[in-house]
Amino acid sequence: MSVRHDESGPAVAPATGAAARPPAGASDRPAAAPRRRRPRRWLADVCALLVAVVVAFPLYWMVLSALRPRAELEAGDATPFTLSPSLDSFERVVLVDGFGRYLVNSLLVAGAVVVLSTLCAFLAAVALTRYRFRTRSTLLVMVLVAQMVPIEALTIPLFFLLRNIGGAVPALGLNHLGSLIIVHMAFSIPFAIWMLRGFVAAVPQSVEEAAKLDGASSFTFVRRILFPLVAPGVAACSIFSFITTWNDFLFAKTFIISAQENQTLPIAILTFFKPDENDWGGIMAGSVLMTIPVLIFFVIVQRHLISGLGGAVKG
Amino acid sequence: MSTTAVPREGTRRTGDWARRAPLLPALIFTIVVTQLPFLVTIWYSLRSWNLLRPGSGQFSGLDNYVAVLTDTQFLGAAGNTILITASCVLVSMLLGIGLALLLDRKFFGRGLARTLLITPFLIVPVATALLWKTTMFDPVFGLVGFALSPFGLGDVDWVSSYPVASVVTALVWQWTPFMMLLVLAGLQSQGRDVVEAGQVDGAGPRQMFLFVTLPHLRRYIELGVLLGSIYVVGTFDTIYMMTQGGPGTASANLPFTIYQRAFLGFDIGQSAAMGVIVVIGTMIVATLALRLIFRTFMATEEKLS
Repeated sequence: MSVRHDESGPAVAPATGAAARPPAGASDRPAAAPRRRRPRRWLADVCALLVAVVVAFPLYWMVLSALRPRAELEAGDATPFTLSPSLDSFERVVLVDGFGRYLVNSLLVAGAVVVLSTLCAFLAAVALTRYRFRTRSTLLVMVLVAQMVPIEALTIPLFFLLRNIGGAVPALGLNHLGSLIIVHMAFSIPFAIWMLRGFVAAVPQSVEEAAKLDGASSFTFVRRILFPLVAPGVAACSIFSFITTWNDFLFAKTFIISAQENQTLPIAILTFFKPDENDWGGIMAGSVLMTIPVLIFFVIVQRHLISGLGGAVKG
Repeated sequence: MSTTAVPREGTRRTGDWARRAPLLPALIFTIVVTQLPFLVTIWYSLRSWNLLRPGSGQFSGLDNYVAVLTDTQFLGAAGNTILITASCVLVSMLLGIGLALLLDRKFFGRGLARTLLITPFLIVPVATALLWKTTMFDPVFGLVGFALSPFGLGDVDWVSSYPVASVVTALVWQWTPFMMLLVLAGLQSQGRDVVEAGQVDGAGPRQMFLFVTLPHLRRYIELGVLLGSIYVVGTFDTIYMMTQGGPGTASANLPFTIYQRAFLGFDIGQSAAMGVIVVIGTMIVATLALRLIFRTFMATEEKLS
């Protein structure tokens, strides 16, 4: 995809260069350029790999700490490998600390938020870009404003709001997963609308007209034609809502106060982090386990991510 | 504006609503969960209301605002927020551009390098904060101390001596991949014809970058700065896990201070006032940023048409 002009080998470069330039200039430059460039390119490649290794080193250390036997950790061993990797830390986290329960909670919340907020945002994006009605631009501006309100300013009123909702529908109130789903949906939707708008607008009007001629209703068009066409955008915004929901700490800490069994993973990791006896092996094992679902989700959608981000800018 | 079909007068109203219908779920949701609570925050901020004082909650005008704006803890937190956000976004954007340029070429191990560089963004921030606090910055066991010990910096307690810098380091590590991804998207959307035209015109690599690539990347960079700022301003977990805002309040930012005031100090009125001030501040900054972005949008659209 990204085969750039300057990547064609030195054998081809002089030929194309000579064809494009007047003969006078072709005598020295095309021949000299690749020769001079080569060592620098090689240097840049080594640099890139080196930086990647440095950036990734904390990750390696995280996995390593999770695999180290306890004695080695407590001795403060700084060797960059371990000769006796053990799964003790993982076992302790999963079996003793009920990690599975929190994992299921986190997956439920993040999954529900991704599906529901993407659906709502997609419909809204369709309405905002393809249909014309009065107050359309006002609504567009409102979406942007909603995006800008910082969450910390809203935690207190949301706390009381959720307490009141909980009085009517307990499953959506404080201490229940529903409260987290509601709140995260509301914070994911404006961003998702904003991102999807560009994609929906990029589908030409003629496609819609052709579909109409073939007898498709508005609904069929949106579902069968428009949705597949904007799939990269959907992928890009779903990974964002997944990551923000999955990572959330503030809301989980504020709204799930006393129901330990409804806690999500980021808070669960707090329970391993006791000031007196730091179970680093456990913390790191928990962190590794917590990262795996994000990685899986990312691998599934990553093909669309870069083009998705590009599309959001074009809108 | 292309008004292709003029709707008949009679069906106009219903037509309007039918076209708005797909918007309603998202709209109602966002209004109920984000806009109304904000109005409620304003309402709370005008009362003297502490949950520990039974019977409090009477109207007190702008007292909370006066109290908050003369509160050194709040002002310190505001300063920290600006410092943390600005330095984190700036540094991670510069690093992100550099890394994206390095990755935007074919070389052996590119796929691996790219995956390695993206992963920090996928780690849960709570885990990132713990990772940096314990295995990197710890004075006894930390890797940073170990690596710097030849320079006599082996036993520095980074997190308590330089709390803000430590937090920024962890945040930069976490946000650089995001900036890199955005810039990479920009680089890959750059038309090959433009690159070739530049080369035919005899532009060197540096000129190509300054006059062709960078202007093209501008929107991507702006989007990255805007989104990065929105998220980094709201950083709570990293601060909570790494420093607890300490030592003292040396590294507390606004979200952390608001949280403390509301859920540990139970002063609903004052924390609501802080929230309102934060929203106003964010609006001002974001409006300026958005105007900048819209100007570039307009400029390119005019060019295209």
